[in-house]
Amino acid sequence: MNKLFYFILFLIVLAAFGTNAFAGKGVKSDHLKAANGDKAKKGDTLLFPIKIYQDYISSADGDRCPSYPTCSQYCSEAIKKHGAFLGWIMCSDRLIRDGRDETRLSDPVWINGKKRTYDPVSNNDFWWQ
Amino acid sequence: MIIMQTRNTHSACLLFALACFISLFFAVSPSFAVSDVPPPTNPLMVLSADKQFQYAQDLFSAKDYSTASGEYKRFVYFFPKDRRVEFAMYQIGMSHFLGGHYQEAVSAFKKLAEQYFDTEYSIKSYYRISEAYIQMKDFEQALIDLNNLVTISHNQDVKDEAFYRMGWIYIETASWDEARRYFNKISARNRRKFELEKLSAALEKETAIPHKNPKLAGFLSIVPGAGYLYCGRYQDALIAFLLNGGLIYAAYESFDKGQSALGGVISFVEFGFYSGNIYGAISSAHKYNRKNTGQFIQHLKENIKINLSADMRNQGVTLSLQWSF
Repeated sequence: MNKLFYFILFLIVLAAFGTNAFAGKGVKSDHLKAANGDKAKKGDTLLFPIKIYQDYISSADGDRCPSYPTCSQYCSEAIKKHGAFLGWIMCSDRLIRDGRDETRLSDPVWINGKKRTYDPVSNNDFWWQ
Repeated sequence: MIIMQTRNTHSACLLFALACFISLFFAVSPSFAVSDVPPPTNPLMVLSADKQFQYAQDLFSAKDYSTASGEYKRFVYFFPKDRRVEFAMYQIGMSHFLGGHYQEAVSAFKKLAEQYFDTEYSIKSYYRISEAYIQMKDFEQALIDLNNLVTISHNQDVKDEAFYRMGWIYIETASWDEARRYFNKISARNRRKFELEKLSAALEKETAIPHKNPKLAGFLSIVPGAGYLYCGRYQDALIAFLLNGGLIYAAYESFDKGQSALGGVISFVEFGFYSGNIYGAISSAHKYNRKNTGQFIQHLKENIKINLSADMRNQGVTLSLQWSF
């Protein structure tokens, strides 16, 4: 049973991180400007691991995220804009969608010569903002 | 003899004094001074209204809008009684508008509309103000501005154009019934001009726009991935199902084996993904609707909308029709 458990855990990690979901050091997008200052303070604790990831893991791992802004940057912006709770939910949603149907449905954008899928926070909160 | 000598001495003194005065005069006087620098020939530049206006017009035609607006302002300032002042004020607004400075354009057009009443350019200014607000995505202000025009104008043609524009603003915001209401306000004599019959027929097709119910998408997401599946996102649905299913199973196994700490961590992560699956499904439905509605509106604009905009680059007003074959 234990083997099955670890196998499932492995599959989960593979699904979440093996699809370039978190790949890519955050390319700063201008959506940060719209971020709410008060909510940014609320999400500071969650932003710290993202910053660590961007500075130390992604810089070594490489810039491979197929979306713009990258998932880590998107999470950072979502947390700054909507606080830790909603930011975390939006971040999880993005990780599920990244690199799959979104590439077919959203507009492409060229960043540093690479074709990416344009999927900013504003594209996912417009309906309740 | 003594007297004669005295007279001669006096004459010599007078001559000497006269010579000194003349030489001193030539030496000191700047107008007679010898210099290499030529005297200024035309120190004053005469600025005529025609020259100033033409200069501003040339800049506007050359699309140097920021400089053009400044030159139009100079024209208005120095020649306030010229007959072209109203047009120059309109061009100040147009320079800002075409330069993409919509807020400044609104201010300039409002200034004109306050100064002049029911003139050609004051009416056009109202239209431009609404267009500037539309560019800024402030549809409410655009509607308020056109409503003001309808209130103050006594010209039925002007009112009809304002109604037509208001109807299109409602189309832009997908408020179909409001759009129909404003199109119906257009007087009978202008209904053909605005092709209302064709427009009404096209608007009827809005019910056929493909639509996904966001609430249903959210509800279906109780089963992870079903909401995405409903929105036509098959890959996302599969990943959401596997990820959530796996995490739920992992959390269950952890708690079942007495590994509460691990179970807690997995549950925390799973909570995010499960909520994200619901949020994403609702969001996907909204994006689906927005995309299809946007395409329908774009189709209407390209095939049905009459281009009422005044020729931005010139002075005239053009009325053009578009239709698809």
